[in-house]
Amino acid sequence: MPEQEKNFNVRDKIDMSRIKRRERTDKIFKTIFLIAGILSALMIILIFIFVGGKGIKPFLPGYEFGQQNLGKFLTGMTWRSDQNPPVYGAAFIVVNTLISAFLASVVSFPISVLTALFIVKIAPKKLRGFFTTVVELLAAIPSVVYGVFAAGKITKMVNSMAQHFGLTTHGGLSQLTVSILLAIMIFPTITSMAINAIAAVDKNLELGSLALGASKTQTNFKVVLSAAKSGIFAGLILGLGRAFGEATAVSMVAGNSMTGPTWNLFDITRTLTSTMLSGLKETSGLDYDIRFSVGIVLMIIVLITNFSIQLIKRSIGGVSHE
Amino acid sequence: MSKHEAFQERISKNRGMTAKRRSIDGVRNFFTYLSAALAVFVLGSIFVFVFQRGAKTLSWDLITEDFHTVKYMVNFTEQEAGDFAVPDDLKEGEYFSTKYGFGVMEGTDAAKDTVILLTRKAEDSPLHSGVNAVAGDTKDKPQDVPTHVNVVKIAYKNQEGETKSAGQVRHHTPQEFVETLDQESTGIVSMNYQSLGGGIRGSIRATLMLIGLTLLISLPIGIFAAIYLHEIAPKNGFTNFIRTSIEMLNGVPSIVFGLMGMAIFFPITAAFGATTPNILLGAITMAVVLLPVTIRQTEEALITVPDKLRMGSLSLGATQTQTIFKVVLPNALPGILTSILLSVSRIIGESAALIYTMGTFVVDNPHITGRATTLAVQIWSVMSGEQPNFELATAISILVLIIVLVLNVSIKLITRQLNKKWKE
Repeated sequence: MPEQEKNFNVRDKIDMSRIKRRERTDKIFKTIFLIAGILSALMIILIFIFVGGKGIKPFLPGYEFGQQNLGKFLTGMTWRSDQNPPVYGAAFIVVNTLISAFLASVVSFPISVLTALFIVKIAPKKLRGFFTTVVELLAAIPSVVYGVFAAGKITKMVNSMAQHFGLTTHGGLSQLTVSILLAIMIFPTITSMAINAIAAVDKNLELGSLALGASKTQTNFKVVLSAAKSGIFAGLILGLGRAFGEATAVSMVAGNSMTGPTWNLFDITRTLTSTMLSGLKETSGLDYDIRFSVGIVLMIIVLITNFSIQLIKRSIGGVSHE
Repeated sequence: MSKHEAFQERISKNRGMTAKRRSIDGVRNFFTYLSAALAVFVLGSIFVFVFQRGAKTLSWDLITEDFHTVKYMVNFTEQEAGDFAVPDDLKEGEYFSTKYGFGVMEGTDAAKDTVILLTRKAEDSPLHSGVNAVAGDTKDKPQDVPTHVNVVKIAYKNQEGETKSAGQVRHHTPQEFVETLDQESTGIVSMNYQSLGGGIRGSIRATLMLIGLTLLISLPIGIFAAIYLHEIAPKNGFTNFIRTSIEMLNGVPSIVFGLMGMAIFFPITAAFGATTPNILLGAITMAVVLLPVTIRQTEEALITVPDKLRMGSLSLGATQTQTIFKVVLPNALPGILTSILLSVSRIIGESAALIYTMGTFVVDNPHITGRATTLAVQIWSVMSGEQPNFELATAISILVLIIVLVLNVSIKLITRQLNKKWKE
């Protein structure tokens, strides 16, 4: 420490109160940043607590609009909110939701993967940007616009398809319409994940395959795709999650059947999300609260799907990059 | 790279493939072309469909018009018939009253009913002399009849001095309407007209209000949280927990956010006097929806700011807060701008969460604590009625598509610019 040898001391020039003030502001802002972080993290927990709480309420004793039977809700095959007393059975809705999402991914998955392969490995460089933009635009289109398109175009297509088989539809509203719509909507999700996965495949793997005498196409299909498969399947799961949760567009073409499950592709159907949106008028009462119960079921399905990404990554493996 | 590719090229060209191999490869490649072409086809058909169906309906009037029709009634202070010259630029199907100096033609209103549309008024037409005939404060105040309204009824005096009416109430076509007036009347007494409705002015206003309010809430929280995570947070389990929790928000379906809004935040807006779903509630909900996006984008922007800038500032004696606000954030501004554009694009496209938190009833004069619809929700609203209104829905879709696409392209350009800046 310097001694007071001279008349001038720099310490006298330092205003301690200003420093203290600065340090206090520093502390205050750091606390604000921390609070913002915690607040953001808290949201997901609040969602579980509040939506869960409100959704369970109808099944608890003492529920003001008449206690519902949880067993009947989980196994029931009829959803009649127009009856008195109303019947709420969600089992067939879950089945229909799973069927339509499954059909959508069966259609969309191969097309998405092939498109991604085309964009990354096969297309000439100049076309690459164009096709990437196409996928990005498809991802950017809002879901209501997809819904309008489905209600105007896909319904007509499905209707004429049904007539071809000698069947009738309810103006094109059907399970098939929902599946085609969802297939289109999850296409950009799966494709962009697949593009990332394929682009990350180690170049040396390909060179190795080529050196062993495989053709370029063989290498693309056998080596590149299997090396990228964990990323590709993660994309599929992400797409499935989107298909389960898609609401407005689906509700425009589902038709909302009252019983089920619907096995006929040309018959109307009912998904969890279309149930939550149909006939939404009051903001209280049993018919409103039961939508939260449906919301819990949806959340559980989406959660299981998301957690299975981790499982799939572990069991499928693929080749680690770099 | 080019060396790599040249090498690859040589390998696959010199390899003698069997005819069978070649045909299998050809088929496989063909399917990839087909898939990519299908994607282009789907995108194309969506655009063609939306633009074809909606282009006719999309007009300036649609943007400025209210959704609900409003009825008006005026009495005329100058009732005498005049003598007006037929204008030269009369369109086909447009009829001009030479006695009263106005033109009408056939049109349609919001409910797609055929109406008599007032298209033009001569300068000294008696239509300018209207006074409000509806009881209330504004009774007998001058009220000029605007053009582009539906003429429901004009009451006129005939040669015998009796009061008769002409117009939609007597199921007149525009031609019959003008002929009746010009041949039978000696003067006009009063007029009933109504606005056409079916417009989107209210939804545009509500969308803008929602965007403003949402950003006001989501930006500070999102940016501060990102600052905490990137600049301050220690690397430990707690920070990881915060990160995972925020990431989990990404997987929540948007309709569940709607439920969340009603379950958690409705009491907050009720404190501001709201009794129904409202714009403020929609904004708080959207802010939560956008949190993960805002945080991730801001963090990515913070990552691009070189550490030497922070160290320089700190070594000059600035506190960490000063460094963040005066050095780091200004340098991360383009990235934050990207997150704003992305947020706006998401808000405009969002529907499911807002159906729950803002309602589906189209309101012409939205208020922060009242029901309203954004453009996207209005599309859903007009589509989910008994008679889906494709014309209006596709017309709004064109607007929404154009806005969203322009935003996405600008995000791409800004990101590219940003990457260039720090690479140099």
